Amino acid sequence: MIPFILRRLTTLVPMLLAVTLLVFILMSLAPGDFLTPVKAQRDINPALIAELQKSFGLDRPWYQQYALWLGNVLHLDFGYSWTYKVPVAQLIAQRAPATILLSITSLLLAWTLAIPLAVLAAARPGGWIDRLTSAAAYFALAIPEFFLALLAVWMAARTGWFPIGGLTSLDHDFLSPASQFLDIAHHLILPTLVLGLGGVAGTLRVLRANVLDVLQAEYITAARAKGLSEKVVLFRHVLRNALNPLLSTIGYAFAGLLSGSLLVENVMNYPGLGRLVYEAFIREDQFVVLGSVVVACSLLIVGNLLSDLALAWSDPRVRYGR
Amino acid sequence: MAQPVFPIALCALLLVSACSPPPKISRQTHPLPAGVDTARSEVGRSGGVFIDSSPGEPSTFNPLVSEDATSGGFIGLFLDSLVHNNAVTQEVEPGLAARWDIAPDNRTFTFHLRPGVLWSDGHPFSADDVLFTFQAIYDPRFPNRAAFDLSVDGQKFKVEKIDDLTVRLTTPQIYAPFLETVGGVGLLPKHELEPAFRDGTLLKSWNVSVAQKEPQRLLATGAFRLRSYQPAERIVFEANPHYWRADAQGVRLPYVDFLVTKLVKDANASTLAFATGQTDAEGLSPDNVAWIDRYASRYGFSVFNRGPSPNTGFIWFNQNPGHDTAGKPFVTPYKLAWFTDRRFRQAISHGIDRQGLVRGVLFGRGQPLWGPETPANKKWYNPNVTQYPYDPARSRALLAEAGFQIGPDQKLHDRHGNLVEFTLNSNQENQLRVNMATAFKENMRDLGITVNLSFLDFGTLVGKIQDSYDYEAGMLGLTGGGDPAGGISVFSSKGRLHQWYPNQKTPATSWEARIDQLMSDQLHTLDYPTRKKYFDEVQKIMSDETPYIYLVTANAYVGLKDRWKNIRIPPLGSLVWNLDELWTPLLTP
Repeated sequence: MIPFILRRLTTLVPMLLAVTLLVFILMSLAPGDFLTPVKAQRDINPALIAELQKSFGLDRPWYQQYALWLGNVLHLDFGYSWTYKVPVAQLIAQRAPATILLSITSLLLAWTLAIPLAVLAAARPGGWIDRLTSAAAYFALAIPEFFLALLAVWMAARTGWFPIGGLTSLDHDFLSPASQFLDIAHHLILPTLVLGLGGVAGTLRVLRANVLDVLQAEYITAARAKGLSEKVVLFRHVLRNALNPLLSTIGYAFAGLLSGSLLVENVMNYPGLGRLVYEAFIREDQFVVLGSVVVACSLLIVGNLLSDLALAWSDPRVRYGR
Repeated sequence: MAQPVFPIALCALLLVSACSPPPKISRQTHPLPAGVDTARSEVGRSGGVFIDSSPGEPSTFNPLVSEDATSGGFIGLFLDSLVHNNAVTQEVEPGLAARWDIAPDNRTFTFHLRPGVLWSDGHPFSADDVLFTFQAIYDPRFPNRAAFDLSVDGQKFKVEKIDDLTVRLTTPQIYAPFLETVGGVGLLPKHELEPAFRDGTLLKSWNVSVAQKEPQRLLATGAFRLRSYQPAERIVFEANPHYWRADAQGVRLPYVDFLVTKLVKDANASTLAFATGQTDAEGLSPDNVAWIDRYASRYGFSVFNRGPSPNTGFIWFNQNPGHDTAGKPFVTPYKLAWFTDRRFRQAISHGIDRQGLVRGVLFGRGQPLWGPETPANKKWYNPNVTQYPYDPARSRALLAEAGFQIGPDQKLHDRHGNLVEFTLNSNQENQLRVNMATAFKENMRDLGITVNLSFLDFGTLVGKIQDSYDYEAGMLGLTGGGDPAGGISVFSSKGRLHQWYPNQKTPATSWEARIDQLMSDQLHTLDYPTRKKYFDEVQKIMSDETPYIYLVTANAYVGLKDRWKNIRIPPLGSLVWNLDELWTPLLTP
């Protein structure tokens, strides 16, 4: 098992090298750099600009900049944000909790809704639950997330039932802890729905197919013949087996923590990593962009690893390593 | 069972959002300092929360790091300076220094600090803090913007402590904008920041991470101190219990308990927050005024016209005679001959229908602009510059005089028969500018001139203007206002933003040499009338020679909730000048 994990983790290295190199080249090809807005201000001394350029390394060719950055990363120093003058790791840690919170709530929504619905739908294929959930799932899959986010913001603005964006109210600081909790919950409803709905639909379709498959298996007939109630058959025997392929998709869900919420966070004014990364891209705050790319790649690899491990744990037939 | 819980939770949620009680604050009552400054405004009542929004995130709370207006604005709320530049009167007023003397040599300034002023943690404020601030600014370990503003030709000011409450600053030469520049320097607390100064981490102090985790470490001398900062969400300031100003009845200012700034992602979101009654104040662009005004009575706000904004908009031609490393000239030589001909530039200027621009692009909310300063800069604006009213006949006459003529194709040609055609570059992000460029193209067509429009990404445009010089004409804006010293990089031929031909070794023309002389002269006298005379001439030359063909200036507007009293809105700068004197009879919005 351990050699397997190590082997998987070593694939991280070439991938990170390739991806960061690509990002670096693309950023150096993009017009302007971090100091462009500063250069356009009339009362900034040229000597200061030259000094900043030197201290940021912007006066060197991109491959030298990249080599320097890489050298620092080997010492686990991901550089600091030029905008905020804060180490990148610290900045990402500052914004990550909000994004992780949203990812967890939307993943929970997806699973708690999709699993029972999929089992019920598959139990009677072609029944009304099946037809209704299929229609709803296709509908949800057809709407792009950013559009759903815009719709949600519009709805919130029209009805006033939900706050328009953000994670907390303006008077959050003045509320009691219980009200603060409710305040956050209130703000989370719409982003969770927007981000989770696609997940519900996707999970639902995959799981329904799996459950249908498993239902054909002989051991299910055996279980029924044993006289087990249909509830026990469905939720203990069928679901347990049908869940395996879903476990392997959890890795991608993990990777989506960062990329998936980027659009939604920006549309819904949500104070997470997505907004930080987007703003860093716009400002060409190099190290923040690179740092977030590293985090996203690592999440993808580690997430896939975790889901493989989870699969091995849940399904005794799967074994890794030689 | 789980079912009944959900509706209850939902009701609770709705309840929370429906009625949030006004926050209660117990103001610690500290005695007023001996050197208290008494406000001359109407006496108000303490309490209330002032809410505004900011389309940008502060990038730091450290004045040595701050380069952008957003961060600078937030820092100005809690860090006070020796003197203030009153944005309404454009005069210098006492700040942490109650008064100052200027020695007869016009280079030595003695500041007398207010006795008894305390930092927000109760530690006394003294001359040591002033000395520490300048020491930090001038330290080469900490490159910062102020170090350049606070030196003349690379020479630093001399800073001496006379006693605990007296500081003497000496400039190496007479330096005209001395008080204005010193007024911009937020003074740092020595007792808090000295360890960071010693170990060289001063630029990393007071960053956004510190502000989020330990807001109380950002010590204040200003009206407010930081209470909390949530990145991308909000910044909450609270009244500084040690602030050094009080009203006529001895009640310590500021009146408002809290200042809450909602951080939003762009200017549209900020405007929308105001239009839907969520915030108390907002700067409005002319194209938003009409629709926002419709919500004024519903949300109880008014829209104020601040008059002309300090923003200038202009077109210029690339007059750079140089060539790139491959030997290719930046500008095709026969075109360079047009661009350097004053009559050509004046003809273009006469061919622009500025009233039409004001009507069509700014919806009548603006005025034509003829020189580098707008009327917003009351102290320095010269109204008697040369004007170029819309007059196509005059344009044609000037062009004919310069050897241009209309060919059989109804297009303008120069004396060698070259078709008069150029490409105007501007940035795509600014819709008003895009509209103006389109109108300009139409105006030029009437003169037989073909203008091609090219809208670029801002970064690309700045690259062309400042690095590659590979363009024919540009259209941009600059924010003017303030002291003439701020414009040196534009007017001086050595300047980086002398856009038609930047970074000249020696002035290319006699009038540029004259401007260089005037800009240098105005910098080395403290006498306002003399400086004004010099700067008036600079503005006159700029309008005569028209290296920049000025277009229009939009009016600036501020929307403000009616519940606020004592409002003073300056023509330039922040929306409300006297936040500390603002009060409201209605504590809940």
